[in-house]
Amino acid sequence: MAPRHRFQLNGETHNVIVDQHGGLTSFTIDDGEPVIADATLSGVPGLISMMIDGRPFRAYVTREGRDFRVTVGDRTFLIASAGGGKRGRSSVGGATDLPGTITAPLAGVLVERRVAVGDTIEEGQAVLVVEAMKMQNEIQTPHAGTVTAIHFEAGARVEKGAILLEYDPADQPAPV
Amino acid sequence: MFKRVLIANRGEIALRVQRTCRELGVETVAVYSESDRNALHVRNADAAVCIGPGPALESYLVIDKIIDAAKQTGTEAIHPGYGFLSENSDFADACEAAGITFIGPSGAAMQAMGDKVSARKLMEAAGVPVVPGANDIDFNDLETARSEADRIGFPLMVKASAGGGGRGIRLVQTAEGLEEGMRQAGSEAQSSFGNATIFLEKYVNPARHIEVQIMADAYGNVRAFGERECSIQRRHQKVLEEAPSIAVTPEIRQRLCDAATAAALSCGYRNAGTVEFLMDDSGEFYFLEMNARLQVEHPVTELVYGVDLVALQLAVANGEALPPQDGPLQPRGWSIEARINGENAYENFTPSLGLVEHVESPMGPGTRFDTMLFDGLDIPPFYDSLLGKLIVWAETRELAVQRLRRALDDLLIVGIDTNVPFHRQLLQHPDFRSGAFHTGWLEESFIMPAPPEDDPREQTALIAAAIASSLVDAAAPVASNEAGSSKWMRATREQAIGLRVQAGGGGWRHGIASS
Repeated sequence: MAPRHRFQLNGETHNVIVDQHGGLTSFTIDDGEPVIADATLSGVPGLISMMIDGRPFRAYVTREGRDFRVTVGDRTFLIASAGGGKRGRSSVGGATDLPGTITAPLAGVLVERRVAVGDTIEEGQAVLVVEAMKMQNEIQTPHAGTVTAIHFEAGARVEKGAILLEYDPADQPAPV
Repeated sequence: MFKRVLIANRGEIALRVQRTCRELGVETVAVYSESDRNALHVRNADAAVCIGPGPALESYLVIDKIIDAAKQTGTEAIHPGYGFLSENSDFADACEAAGITFIGPSGAAMQAMGDKVSARKLMEAAGVPVVPGANDIDFNDLETARSEADRIGFPLMVKASAGGGGRGIRLVQTAEGLEEGMRQAGSEAQSSFGNATIFLEKYVNPARHIEVQIMADAYGNVRAFGERECSIQRRHQKVLEEAPSIAVTPEIRQRLCDAATAAALSCGYRNAGTVEFLMDDSGEFYFLEMNARLQVEHPVTELVYGVDLVALQLAVANGEALPPQDGPLQPRGWSIEARINGENAYENFTPSLGLVEHVESPMGPGTRFDTMLFDGLDIPPFYDSLLGKLIVWAETRELAVQRLRRALDDLLIVGIDTNVPFHRQLLQHPDFRSGAFHTGWLEESFIMPAPPEDDPREQTALIAAAIASSLVDAAAPVASNEAGSSKWMRATREQAIGLRVQAGGGGWRHGIASS
């Protein structure tokens, strides 16, 4: 059975079917025509170079959890493995977090904690400040609630996606 | 020449200074913070001294630690690079007191130029045109500010006397906005520079930012190496620079160089410096400020004047006279520098940092890439976002633009986001191509387009992801069947182990930072 990969890219699901025909490998994306790609891995880890219809292409792949970051030229695509396991913590963090946690939208240094455990926080309130490259970025809460934990001290280095703060979300008003 | 020079800086500029030192047979001493332990400027030095934790306030900005490092390593001279302590007169004085040559101007000249108001006064006395304005106003003295503002006219700029780096500056459009502008500029000046004195300046708009590179020796000789065009700015930060400027005629160039030379002579300036001017549509220009250091964008001058400015800095600091010169220096060809920053061009230029997985540097004719990047560098969050400077030279501006586009195509940085997509768009913009821009142009008229939908590169990316996904499966404990598998699949069994591909693991991250 031909291996079938399900990916999510920019909010859309794509199926890629890999087929072997003798020494050739074809890739069928969604309902498209099969593409025969002669792929090799160069000496550089992660660099995949391929020949499609006499034209060279190359991509550099790194993994982020279960997902792939694929760089082609000056564009980087985040390609999630769809249909398996938990979602990678690859959200943009901050305002788009699910209720209950606030993650770092970017790597940097936590320079300010504007709230303490037990404080009531409001939707849109700036609760933390993460500094990166000499720029201060306010992190706002996406939902109201009560702070239950702050995981880093001021001055600590934080990675993108790290859980910075947890809170008990207040009851959501019923949708009108 | 000096036997040993300490470079009190990091990143690409530390590497750039090291290169000239090594060419001249001068040993280099690096200083580094704990988070720069793995940096290239540390590995490439003849000696290196750790000067404390990552934050610059605890390392690169601590004068005593750097002087100690210099003494401990038997250093004769210190090159400050740009930023950090490069324009700190206390540092220049501390070097002198310790018997170490500071490769830059004297503390006194630095102070005269560092305070924008005293610099304005010096320039007025030297006959250098300055922007109409009013000096020395306390930020609480609204009454004086009001009457001066009426004389100058709106719009005007409120600026911190001790300012720099775009901080402590407010544009005020009307009389009603003056109080608020003064309060903001004053409090920012107080917190950033510990000095709340402000001055007012007529807002020259549209204006180009034109600056002149000068070099002065200890014997009263000053050379002016023409102008640089630095009008492409975002948030008062330059992002692309050129030499020469499309707007500067030979006649204007001569006047600019004369004014810059007069500025340097007026304060007994020594070593490399830059005199910044605002230039309006008619070619009239006004003194803005003098930067008492080597500038980030110095390479464009080096390429069109065929000079190594760092070598001249070392020679002048060593007491040598500038070589004699017949007539004004003339630029040859055209040079452009694109600052490559760690920021996401598609997400409002938010900073991007972390592990650089892979870098491919542009090469070839007329191409220079001054960078701190290498595969496996984990970029610390404490410093600015400059990753490197891509500089090209060609016979004409048009050819230089083509060359820069080619070089940007050749540049591959994997692992972090950069502003390369921005530069590619900028180079295509008709206003940029025709030279019809000014300091406000980028923020007022340039719109960064969203990434293309239906990008054909998506197909390449999906195929690559399918290959990567198969590799991960192949390296999993339950191996896929071997029969009929393609050559990359067979190859990857071994390579996958070499690459440390693990199912569900960290993948191909390499280097110690990924553990």
